[in-house]
Amino acid sequence: MTSVSTVIDSENRDEIAPVSAGDRDGPQDGFKETVGDIYHPRPRLTCRNVDVCYDNGAAHAIRNVSLDIGEMEVLAMIGPSGCGKSTFLRCLNRMNDTIDGCEVTGSIRLDGEEIYSKDLDVVPLRARVGMVFQKPNPFPKSIYENVAYGPRIHGLAANKAELDEVVESSLKRAALWGEVCDRLHQPGTGLSGGQQQRLCIARAIAVSPEVILMDEPCSALDPIATAKVEELIDELRKRYTIVIVTHSMQQAARVSQRTAYFHLGNLVEMDETDRIFTDPQHQLTEDYITGRFG
Amino acid sequence: MTNETQRTIDIVHAGLRKRYARERRFRLMGLMAISLGLLFVSILFLDISLKGYTAFQQTYLRLQVYYDPSIIDPAGTTRHDDLAFADYAALVKQSLRTVFPDVTDRQDKRELYKLASPGAGQALARRVLADPSVIGNREEIWVLANDDVDMLAKGKIDRDAPEDVRRLDDRALAWIDRLEQRGDIRKQFNTGFFSSGDSRQPEQAGIAGALMGSFYTLLLTLLMSFPLAVGTAVYLEEFAPRNRLTDLIEVNINNLAAVPSIIFGLLGLAVFINFFGVPRSTPLVGALVLTLMTLPTIIIASRSALKSVPPSIREAALAVGASPLQTQIHHVLPLAMPGMLTGTIIGMAQALGETAPLLMIGMIAFIVDVPQGVTDPATVLPVQIFLWADSPERAFVERTSAAIMVLLAFLVAMNLLAVLLRRRFERRW
Amino acid sequence: MTSTETRHTVHRFDDELNEIAKLVDQMGTIAVQQLRRAVKALKKEDPARAHKVIRRDRKLNNLDIEVDEKVIQLIARRAPVAKDLRQIIAVAKVVTDLERTGDEARKIAALCVRFHESDHHVPSDNILRDIYSMSKYVSVMLEVAMQAFSSLDIEKAFSVLLMDEELEIRFDSILRHLSTYVMEDARNVGHFVDIVLGIRALERFGGHAKNIAGHVIFLATANDVRHLDADEIRQLLDLEEE
Repeated sequence: MTSVSTVIDSENRDEIAPVSAGDRDGPQDGFKETVGDIYHPRPRLTCRNVDVCYDNGAAHAIRNVSLDIGEMEVLAMIGPSGCGKSTFLRCLNRMNDTIDGCEVTGSIRLDGEEIYSKDLDVVPLRARVGMVFQKPNPFPKSIYENVAYGPRIHGLAANKAELDEVVESSLKRAALWGEVCDRLHQPGTGLSGGQQQRLCIARAIAVSPEVILMDEPCSALDPIATAKVEELIDELRKRYTIVIVTHSMQQAARVSQRTAYFHLGNLVEMDETDRIFTDPQHQLTEDYITGRFG
Repeated sequence: MTNETQRTIDIVHAGLRKRYARERRFRLMGLMAISLGLLFVSILFLDISLKGYTAFQQTYLRLQVYYDPSIIDPAGTTRHDDLAFADYAALVKQSLRTVFPDVTDRQDKRELYKLASPGAGQALARRVLADPSVIGNREEIWVLANDDVDMLAKGKIDRDAPEDVRRLDDRALAWIDRLEQRGDIRKQFNTGFFSSGDSRQPEQAGIAGALMGSFYTLLLTLLMSFPLAVGTAVYLEEFAPRNRLTDLIEVNINNLAAVPSIIFGLLGLAVFINFFGVPRSTPLVGALVLTLMTLPTIIIASRSALKSVPPSIREAALAVGASPLQTQIHHVLPLAMPGMLTGTIIGMAQALGETAPLLMIGMIAFIVDVPQGVTDPATVLPVQIFLWADSPERAFVERTSAAIMVLLAFLVAMNLLAVLLRRRFERRW
Repeated sequence: MTSTETRHTVHRFDDELNEIAKLVDQMGTIAVQQLRRAVKALKKEDPARAHKVIRRDRKLNNLDIEVDEKVIQLIARRAPVAKDLRQIIAVAKVVTDLERTGDEARKIAALCVRFHESDHHVPSDNILRDIYSMSKYVSVMLEVAMQAFSSLDIEKAFSVLLMDEELEIRFDSILRHLSTYVMEDARNVGHFVDIVLGIRALERFGGHAKNIAGHVIFLATANDVRHLDADEIRQLLDLEEE
């Protein structure tokens, strides 16, 4: 099922500085080098020279992306469709493994541990790096079962009482407890879209991950539900590192501390969100966020 | 501008009638096609039912039987074996003679004896074996009439036809009329049809053997093909890498579904019977062949059921850290199960109705006994129908139709079960 | 006002921005005209012209309100970010400054009315000469600032900042100069306050021109240069020493 080959440049292993894009070939479309600041003082995930190819090298989805994702920050990744931001996000918990012919090279480390190394097990990795998807995708089971599933398969709860507690605290942290506490055993698919998405977030945090990846979590939600999820993200930031891919620049501006702009697989610019949205350095970023794209 | 819109509207209006007419024509054609189909189906069903419903009744004769000890047990041993092999047909003949004492001619007597079925003697034997104390007594008993009497009673023999083309001559008609006047002929529900095996005598032939044969065959087919097919489908759909080899396998599975079923029969004959030495004519070998035949159907249905499970569910499970196998067992399989079961039941229905491959592996043999296990020689319903349809006796026509009705009832029931299962287990996501 | 080489995907956005830019340009032109006409009225000793200037100030006020309304609508509807956001903020500030320059021009016109409509005796040309020269200077400042605004020319904007430093020096020397007049001729004391207020108004006029130049630099470079001196700004913007 997986055909992910992992190449870690041995020279690069202990070196924190990324290789500059100018040294590499391939079409760049006015892109030379990432501008802004890719570093974070307290990094959790460090990505260096990440390249992703689909169809066994036929399509180059991510070109030489290097960035840090810091502790307890919300990093927003924006960019036009097909810019590779979702692909990059999926590299961070190796969800790309499920796609045939997808090849990831470069180095991605979680707390210094190479996640693409051959002896790393993806199951515990995904317990550490949770994910929330674009479309709310609760299991067609009860609300309780949805949240309890992760802790159960990982054996995080010793008995029923502990499991109950994990479910309750996860639902509370996902700001959903009050709405569902009296119908925990009804199907999760019967909730509204926004509630379903918060249920998915509760499911992700039930296994106590360290990083939560969110792939356009609000694209299927109405503005009120979106606001609730955004409020939740802000609350979760106190405990978790969050990486969010979004199409809504306003959302990126509202929830994130730092923003990365992707364009045609390149990381064009990365900086403090305040800076990106008032004074972007790269013309491509400026054109994209002001709506002058294409 | 306004002018132009006006014109557009006019053009639209001009073409509208034509468009609607075309639409009506199309609907009418569809309606006609469906009603034609329904018409043919109902003609078929009506024909079968009209021919077959009479088989559920059977004509019986009332005989005053004297259980003559000198015939049943001349030695007076009352041993079971002696009683079992006594000449009970003589008792039937004797009682018939007492009804018609005026028949003396040898030829006539033989004709007279033919009024009762050969099974009548067996009925008496069963009576005596069950309760030997009746020996020496006189008793009234209803026994099976011969198929010709049955046919006459059911109005399937034309009394007005010339004597030489009629199955019953004038003498026999007169006897039957006499018996009828005395109230010694009646029709009652044909339990024998469901409880006895095949027979050369139409009035004694039943479908119990074929039903049990079908049951064992299908049970084995289900046990073998379902796990195999689901396993194959899950592996191919979820785990196998996409490459030339798996493409080849996929193409071949699809092609297997289109292979004429008799080929599978030949394969079964060559491989299972001749090579592996599986006993022929048994439900076991039948099930092996039918498993081969239904596998592609179930695999294809299962794969499409797996495909219809949204990938978001798999992603959700993987993202919380479930292993691929856990993802399949906890989430994908339960969601795909209704589709898989539907495919399986359809495959089973196909297997239930299959004849050709079973002919090749000897399940066409004439077997009177009801099979007791999967290695007993057996036949199955469609083959039984095929056999009866081939028999010359007039009375087998109605039994053929009745057997078809039973087969159809089972097929409808299985399809209904498929629909119900899908309704019951289908979940929204 | 802006040299947008690429247009917004939503063309209406561009149209709205251009509309606002046109209004700001118009306001700049009117503000400069107002000052020139007020000074001309003073020169010609023509209170009727001065009244006309005072009346025309209302037009500037209305334009200010109109632009502010459009700015609010645009923020509400288009949620501008980055350069668009800076531009719209800069516009809002520029129009406020332009409206104020109009007020200062009106003060000069009011000076004329005061001198020539009452039985005041008219101040000598000598005293007024400072007003003439300074008004010329500050109107050029505003003109240059508005040019910088419409072409986003940082150098031009910076030159306005330098002109403002020069203006402050001139302002001080004029005040000293005027005080000598008062000492020479005590009759001039009556005008002194009026003249100083006029000079002060012109100094403010120049100050608003400087503010506008500052907004241009903010708009073009996202650097807030208020409360910095010229050298710091030069360093910040990486400009050549003249």
